[in-house]
Amino acid sequence: MKYYSTALFVILSFFCELTAQNDKMVLVKGGIYQPLYGAADQSVEVDPFLMDVYPVTNADYLNFVAQYPQWKKSNVKTLFADKSYLANWTDDGSYPGLANAPVTNISWFAAKKYCECQGKRLPTMDEWEFAAMANEKLQDARTLETYNQYILNWYETPKTFRNPIGETFKNYWGIYDLHGLVWEWTLDFNSVLISGESRKDSDKDSNLFCGSASIGASDLMNYAAFMRYAFRGSMKARYSSQNLGFRCAKNVDN
Amino acid sequence: MKVNIKNKVVTKMLLGLGAVAFLSGCINDQSDKKYNDTVEIPVNQEMMAELTAPPFVPTPVGKRMAKKLIVDLEIQEREGEMTNGVKYIYWTFGGTVPGSFIRTRVGDEVEFHLKNHPDNKLPHNIDLHSVNGPGGGAEASFVAPGHEKVFSFKVLNPGLYVYHCATAPVGMHIANGMYGLILVEPEGGLPPVDKEYYIMQGDFYTEGEYGARGLQPFDMQKAINEKADYVVFNGHVGALTGDNAMTANVGEKIRLFVGNGGPNLVSSFHVIGEIFDKVHVEGGDLINTNVQTTLIPAGGAAIVEFRVDVPGSYILVDHSVFRAFNKGALAMFKVNGEEDKRIFSGEIRDDIYLPEGSVIQSMPTSGTSKPKEEMKAVSFEERMKFGKDKYMATCAACHQPDGKGIESAFPPLANSDYLNADVNRAIDIILHGKTGEITVNGKKYNSVMTAQALSDEEVTNVLTYVYNSWGNSKKEVTPEMVQAVRNK
Amino acid sequence: MKNITYLMVFIFLTVMSSCKNSSENNTGNTETAQEKKRSESLPEMSIYHLPSHWTNQNGETVELKDLQGKVVVMVMIYTTCKAACPRLVADMRNIEKQIPEDKKENVLYVFVSIDPETDTPEKLKVFAKENQMDNEKWLFLRGTENDTREFAAVLAVNYKEISPMDFSHSNIISVFDQQGEMVHQQEGLGVDNVETVEAIIKMADKG
Repeated sequence: MKYYSTALFVILSFFCELTAQNDKMVLVKGGIYQPLYGAADQSVEVDPFLMDVYPVTNADYLNFVAQYPQWKKSNVKTLFADKSYLANWTDDGSYPGLANAPVTNISWFAAKKYCECQGKRLPTMDEWEFAAMANEKLQDARTLETYNQYILNWYETPKTFRNPIGETFKNYWGIYDLHGLVWEWTLDFNSVLISGESRKDSDKDSNLFCGSASIGASDLMNYAAFMRYAFRGSMKARYSSQNLGFRCAKNVDN
Repeated sequence: MKVNIKNKVVTKMLLGLGAVAFLSGCINDQSDKKYNDTVEIPVNQEMMAELTAPPFVPTPVGKRMAKKLIVDLEIQEREGEMTNGVKYIYWTFGGTVPGSFIRTRVGDEVEFHLKNHPDNKLPHNIDLHSVNGPGGGAEASFVAPGHEKVFSFKVLNPGLYVYHCATAPVGMHIANGMYGLILVEPEGGLPPVDKEYYIMQGDFYTEGEYGARGLQPFDMQKAINEKADYVVFNGHVGALTGDNAMTANVGEKIRLFVGNGGPNLVSSFHVIGEIFDKVHVEGGDLINTNVQTTLIPAGGAAIVEFRVDVPGSYILVDHSVFRAFNKGALAMFKVNGEEDKRIFSGEIRDDIYLPEGSVIQSMPTSGTSKPKEEMKAVSFEERMKFGKDKYMATCAACHQPDGKGIESAFPPLANSDYLNADVNRAIDIILHGKTGEITVNGKKYNSVMTAQALSDEEVTNVLTYVYNSWGNSKKEVTPEMVQAVRNK
Repeated sequence: MKNITYLMVFIFLTVMSSCKNSSENNTGNTETAQEKKRSESLPEMSIYHLPSHWTNQNGETVELKDLQGKVVVMVMIYTTCKAACPRLVADMRNIEKQIPEDKKENVLYVFVSIDPETDTPEKLKVFAKENQMDNEKWLFLRGTENDTREFAAVLAVNYKEISPMDFSHSNIISVFDQQGEMVHQQEGLGVDNVETVEAIIKMADKG
């Protein structure tokens, strides 16, 4: 019996490998960068890592819940996902919209587990931000007006979560859709320390957080990124959202 | 705080009142009881707050007692029309700019439900200036898309207060329309009037210039430089003009709840042809009387009251007047009823007056580089369409959407003898402005029209639209004709 | 950077095992029937659904679900913190003092380190002794970086490393009932803890 189920697991994994729609990854070489929101005057070094070229799609996620039924809409524990989890799915086995649209309404726990089950993990916020600094040509395009305007314009475009993956620009690293499609979970999304009261957040209230004096936005003009952090700050790990999907990352020496 | 200052007054009043009460027996009806600290006002019963879209306001509180008031407000990010042909993504409290009007009375305990629609991309929150507490509720109400936050507060100070979103970047959330008004009426309510309306000014910053077609994204740099493309009442150009104008009858007492969402500009609020009998300065207790123009700071409000004595159209403006005529800060009040010659005679006599050196105003043309390629109309139909949009954006505020103008202020373009008589004169007026007296359809007008900064193509479109509408001569206008007049 | 490398290593170590665990749970052959039954009877919101393993100040391995049956008061700190954490420790002590004698036994106070790299069991032991909390009432836990992040996510505690040995973090004390369901949270430093104490007493009564 045990032998049988192990065999089944192996077969399932094999099946999973075959059916994964977009498990293509590319290398992001890493380097030093100055995050928008974090320690002032402190650069962060990001080690090389692999990142999914596309966000996880509806079809990918349907495969996942077929394999791991505890993550089906009807089975998931409320500790790990609130009731907006897969909110648009009519039942456990069918999703609305396109197969190659990004899956959204996924909690952080679910996203994390999905990646772990592919032998991957969620990207850290530094990794995500590092990869997302790029435009088509430059590794760090954050000072370009066009780069920021692209992101700001996306904020003001309704219902982009319905679009298929891969239709936004291919960035310097060969990654699509970091901007212009959906928000994405990061492993340490909960390292954002903003209360939603932005005027207070810029205040150095040492009562609130240890070492808060060193936290602040290093570039207030970078409004585009500012909202991304605000969004992360509004989320909890159980929450899911119509405009929030995810992709996976992986260590290089793996 | 204000409560403390007021306490003294109230206490003195109470001493007097106490003596009266002592003589006249016991007052135990809650509605008659005075509290020297509004915190002590008890609430009984629960009630859903009536919320209204501008320019309307909910029913006055009247003599009702303090209650637990449930406010249910949904945040929607949605596309709207800034002016004809110009789209903008508004972020709204309740689907409108300004957001729904909330009406409370002192002592109410407000249970606030802030809902962020699941389709929205961004987290939001609300800071109500009527809240005594950190952030005005901002932190307590920080809500992710697809979630609902609940918090409660007791309204302690009467007055008219602004509420707005305070999520980073605050300026952008406000610039996209996230503001509104909450009224806290005093015990027993404000004195009754005949009509009440809700108006709120706001400045908008778009990538394209005023009137540039299509979906216009928010322009952060212009917002930082405080160079507004639009300054409007109630969220878009023409929200309160033409068919949307507010109405009243002669003899009625009007109360306007006027706010200014900003994000940047201070409003010099003025009603052309009216004097405010009463202004609650800055929305507070201080009352000024006989006011011509009242200053409304960004993030502030005022209650103004006046009686309309003479029928006609009254124009509400930000008297920083280029905002009114070039950026949209114009609203209208239509008053119906009998004329009263004792108050306003109309024109009595017309004499000749010729001072030296009258100069026609012109717009500065150097420095305003307009290198952007413009969409050229390829057919008559398109010319009419573009022309109509431009007309609605630039001309309709004064000449009216139906071209009929406003008597004794703005001459009619509909069926206009003056217009049809000379096309080159019409072109010239658009390009260079017009000052002085003219007679149109037998009526005299003496006003100023500034030169309009329109391209040859735009002038052609507008005039094509005007000449081919409202019974005019269908005169053909071409860009070459406009150019000829320009080069004259 | 060094820390990120550590993070990677931790993640790598936990990635494969954690997914396999859940897939095996799925086929139901690693848990004993009894254990399975117990975990099924837990409320959905119970933190004891988290499969993480921890080490306490005595170097012993602790599974989260071992804490079942007691009211648990939990806070996340790190021992080298000089600003907020001493205050949080004082708050915990203050809360403990207000619990009536006959209920003290039903309550467990847990400190979870947000800096597992620095806070070795030895360090936690020293910290416990310094604060005179080295007895069975107080539990100091250290897990993997990955489990710590996940646990913080459950508690809605946000934290970020500012520099080695210095973190920003939210100050939240959480109370869980005997089944591991969160019944109360207090946020902030030195805040009025009347409600927290009430919640603990109410829960301790049940047990």
